[in-house]
Amino acid sequence: MIKVENVKKAFGPVTVLDGVNLVVNPGEVVSILGSSGSGKSTLIRCINGLEKLNAGRITVDDFDVSKPKDLAEARKRSGTVFQLFNLYPHMTALQNITLAPVEVLKRPRAEAEAEGRALLASVGLGDRADAYSSQLSGGQRQRVGICRALAMKPRYLLLDEVTSALDPEMTAEVLDILAKLAAGGTTMVFVTHEIEFARQISSRIVFLEKGKLLVDLPTAEFFAETGGLAQPRVAQFLSKMRKD
Amino acid sequence: MLPGAGRPGGSPPPFDPLDSPVRSVTVKPVSLNGARVRLDLTILIPHLGFLAEGALLTAEVCALALVGSVLLGMLVAIARTSSNKWIGRLAFAYVDLFRNVPFIVQLFFFYYGLPEIGIYIDAFTTGVVALSISGGAYASDAIRAGILAIDNGILEAAEVSGLSKRVTFTRIVLPIALRTSVRPLGSVLINMILTSSILSTITLNELTGQAKIVASDTFRPFEVYVVLLVVYAALTYLVSIGISLLHRRLNRDLVEQVS
Ligand SMILES: Nc1ncnc2c1ncn2[C@@H]1O[C@H](COP(=O)(O)OP(=O)(O)OP(=O)(O)O)[C@@H](O)[C@H]1O
Ligand SMILES: [Mg+2]
Repeated sequence: MIKVENVKKAFGPVTVLDGVNLVVNPGEVVSILGSSGSGKSTLIRCINGLEKLNAGRITVDDFDVSKPKDLAEARKRSGTVFQLFNLYPHMTALQNITLAPVEVLKRPRAEAEAEGRALLASVGLGDRADAYSSQLSGGQRQRVGICRALAMKPRYLLLDEVTSALDPEMTAEVLDILAKLAAGGTTMVFVTHEIEFARQISSRIVFLEKGKLLVDLPTAEFFAETGGLAQPRVAQFLSKMRKD
Repeated sequence: MLPGAGRPGGSPPPFDPLDSPVRSVTVKPVSLNGARVRLDLTILIPHLGFLAEGALLTAEVCALALVGSVLLGMLVAIARTSSNKWIGRLAFAYVDLFRNVPFIVQLFFFYYGLPEIGIYIDAFTTGVVALSISGGAYASDAIRAGILAIDNGILEAAEVSGLSKRVTFTRIVLPIALRTSVRPLGSVLINMILTSSILSTITLNELTGQAKIVASDTFRPFEVYVVLLVVYAALTYLVSIGISLLHRRLNRDLVEQVS
């Protein structure tokens, strides 16, 4: 379980997260919606320990990300997929995937490579194991990025706008994989602007506005007139997103 | 100015203190008489082994100093990107100091200065150490630039995947930094080869030192130094070819065609 309790985060005078509470249970897909600058990325970066909290607490399976000796364990339990892929440019797709399992989990290289190849095959990149990032399309890079996170066998997958750097065709490739993962029971925290897709795969949707979690509802209720849509800010956001 | 050009006809040329002496020097074929210009390399044949010994010593000193300066350059580059203020300052001071003092002064300090306070180091070691220290100052610049150019997102990906600082540095930061810094490091190495000729001033008979000896033994400095010019040019040319190959290898993902 990922537990975010009363988290506050400020950059200098700017408060970006203002008392956020969120629980993600195993098996859930929680999508985070909200307009640009509302603090979605910052929330993800607090969960994986890239940002320090000003107040509050975040635990991943009871490991507190603010405690240095817990952080390593917390990080083993979550995998992050980035908007701009962030693949290691000097390594092949397969090397990108096997580095952490071998170095962090101390897996035997041969096993890690066999699993890495299987992961690549499962996302349709079985023949690109030896390609470098610069030789792959954006959609292919992001699929490698997903494999890299999955190779650590995380309990939770954190995804921050993983398709927003991709054109529609590549977006479809990547969303297709995420849909399969969701159907297979992978727990995900999914920051996105793909409203329709979020609606299809999410068990819950939360709406962030100026650092505050305005709405946290099961998907069907979020899109119901009496639920999320009853919030003027949510209604406004959704109608604007649908127009774009 | 051509003689007589632009001068009013008949009148004597105005006195020009700069004109006449300069012209007399440049026009007179001072030492270019055929006999002295003839290049007879065969006279060097008996000395080739001796010169080769010197070349080998140059190569040895430079190879060791290359390793020394790259290692030192890495350490200093890490120190300069360190979050510890004092380590950073110390590293900056080192780089500033050794870039702003002539190499020969550093060398004399190590070889002739240190014995005064009881530290004796032989010429070979002094040469390697001095070249490493001064090369390290430049190498750290090249490596630091490579480190600073790394996209922060890549480092964050390594961090969240749980890689230790050490593994992140050796497997990610350094190899990526070297992709860009290998060329500037090549210039540092070439400079080092050229600078190593100064080691002859502390009795280390590397290539230039041996050449000086041959020149004074044979009284044929022209031939000797022609050979020296060619050998240094060839040596640095080979090194730059090697650097280019290494650069291609490190950046192979950008070179290879998509299959
Ligand atoms: N390192 C930082 N230093 C200063 N301000 C920051 C930093 N990171 C984020 N911010 C600010 O925090 C606010 C929230 O940023 P964040 O990236 O979390 O928003 P977001 O909801 O992910 O937006 P988007 O949809 O555009 O990605 C923004 O106003 C941003 O300028
Ligand atoms: Mg964002």
